[in-house]
Amino acid sequence: MRKLLAILVCKLGRAVGRLVGKGSSLPGKYALKICPDILRRVQLPAHVIAVTGSNGKTSTVEMIAAILRSGGKTVVYNEEGSNQIEGVTTTVLTHATLGGRVKADVLLIESDERYAARSFQYFHPTEFVITNLYRDQLTRNGHPEWVYDAILPAIHPDTKLILNADDPLSSCFAQDHENVKWFGLNPCSITGDKPTGVYHDGAYCPLCHAPMEYDYVHYNHIGAYRCTKCGHAKPATDYTVTAADLDQGRLTIDGAVTIQLAFRSIYNVYNILAAYAACREVGIAADTAAGVINNYILKNGRMQKFTLGAHKGVLLTSKHENSIAYDTNLRYIAASKEPCTVLVIVDAVSRKYFTSETSWLWDIDFDLLNVPQVGRVILAGQYCNDLALRFSFTGIPREKLLVQPDIAAAAETLKAEGGEQVYVVTCFSDRDKLLAHVVKEA
Amino acid sequence: MELKIIHFYPDLMSLYGSYANVAVLKRYLEELGNTVTVETVVPGEAADLSGADFLFMGAGTERAQKAALADFVRYGEAVKAAAENGTAALFAGTAMELLGKTITAADGTVYESIGLGSFTSVQGRQRFVEDVYGATDLYSEAVVGFMNKCSSIEGVETPLLTTLDMGFGNSGEKTPEGFRFQNVLASELTGPILVKNPRLLEHVVRAIYARRSQTPPAELPRWAYAEEAYTITEEQLRLRWQKAQG
Ligand SMILES: [Zn+2]
Repeated sequence: MRKLLAILVCKLGRAVGRLVGKGSSLPGKYALKICPDILRRVQLPAHVIAVTGSNGKTSTVEMIAAILRSGGKTVVYNEEGSNQIEGVTTTVLTHATLGGRVKADVLLIESDERYAARSFQYFHPTEFVITNLYRDQLTRNGHPEWVYDAILPAIHPDTKLILNADDPLSSCFAQDHENVKWFGLNPCSITGDKPTGVYHDGAYCPLCHAPMEYDYVHYNHIGAYRCTKCGHAKPATDYTVTAADLDQGRLTIDGAVTIQLAFRSIYNVYNILAAYAACREVGIAADTAAGVINNYILKNGRMQKFTLGAHKGVLLTSKHENSIAYDTNLRYIAASKEPCTVLVIVDAVSRKYFTSETSWLWDIDFDLLNVPQVGRVILAGQYCNDLALRFSFTGIPREKLLVQPDIAAAAETLKAEGGEQVYVVTCFSDRDKLLAHVVKEA
Repeated sequence: MELKIIHFYPDLMSLYGSYANVAVLKRYLEELGNTVTVETVVPGEAADLSGADFLFMGAGTERAQKAALADFVRYGEAVKAAAENGTAALFAGTAMELLGKTITAADGTVYESIGLGSFTSVQGRQRFVEDVYGATDLYSEAVVGFMNKCSSIEGVETPLLTTLDMGFGNSGEKTPEGFRFQNVLASELTGPILVKNPRLLEHVVRAIYARRSQTPPAELPRWAYAEEAYTITEEQLRLRWQKAQG
């Protein structure tokens, strides 16, 4: 009875919520009040795929859904990104019959890494993709090992883990776990021989703290690690990018499937590979998967093209407080061949209030912008002084730096002269403050 | 002067931009005309602390902290001797706990620290994460920072921040924060505390000069961006605190 009531309330709440444009976690919250273990009492599809990790969750989930649907499967997923237990409950109950059966072949869940354990105490994923774990929003997450410890109880012994072989930390989830599939990259066009960045989270083994060695590195400390003491090392991969050329925007999976990249970022390569691996594991043919991800343009793309006066521009969105996401975008800019100006905006770290938490600025490898084609770097927003101080500790010549607190004025300065390419680096909460002053490309 | 900075475990204890404390101090001392060398201490390798002008260790994860402690105990007597003779030091984040008597991990395991201070740290499964606005006895300006820790610390008699208007201190909301022994400073405030607080940086510089029986310029240089960043942060946090007062 409580189960039926919970389902009814959730469905009704969701319908009303849609009408008034409210978020999707509230109906689930009410349903959980009525029947706290409702997620245990529903009949879930044969496959429950969950995705978590520091970066790439949303993109990976979106591509998994597209591939599965193209493969003829019906998919239910928390598309609106409410990825804590309340949002998951809303998603599940909205798509359930009144008897509690979820009408789909696959339930797909983007799970918040800190709350996965709460969601999965009532049911567990059949396939659990963990994209990576590194410094991300430390204000809420503490540090990567803290997040690791939070995810660990969410892993059921029966769950098949789909793990990133190249990440020394999240690969530790395979310890004492039988059922693991690995994805990873062989050396490719962007591969280097040692970790990069201003800090070295891969310097010591996450299991025994002995020094680690690297055979190669794709970015930061993601690559082929090897503990000098305990044997923790990049495992052999089940799904492998066997060749990748980011300049050409092309990658090959398992020596057979060639894919053209709509966005030539190393992130995109990992997200595609993770999605590919998950879909293959639930029985999708390689051709079907390849057909969907070839030239796939993400709906939630983090790249926005625009024009500003005579400038062509690209806005690259990084999460603030995620230094590796920043590094990846900076590397993308540094790889461009044309002369350009880079505008870095940090106006709000938190959407709610001012915070003094700016330590993440020191974790970003801004020296990546110390290349000849970057002719000018404009620092804008309320934290422009913190940025300027940080930049004074890079090798970028002072005369290339311009500090302008006001974002509109920074846009005006750009618009007034020159026609070089412009790259804007900022986060979701600050991006509209610039986009208001430019002409967006569709 | 030729000055020597010792940076303990830069790769292991490197959370929250900790290294920036060393970077700004080095540059500041160099601008004053000194030659500064930074020697790093790596676990398992011998290091010589003698003649050091500044000792530094940054924040690490709770597991990294235990790995650092396992190595650091062999420097315990040398660090205490340096502290007694007025050597300046900063132990930031979880490194602060290495100066106390014991650290109790979340699983209950008790680790012996070097015992420069008589305080004890107990780690839990909850993190205290928030902005901090407080005062120190060292100078009149407010101290700003950000707390991100899972420890409760008891038994500090000489805190670095004597009062907190906002934020989590050693043993609870608005309790004093950090630890001070002569010129040794310790604080769980994360990351680049010397970057965010130019007066604290100046205090460290004066302490380094004092131990060498030298006097720095009466008017210490001020970096415009650091001052402006501090001014904005201090004002914004103060406004938030005042608003919370109603
Ligand atoms: Zn190891």
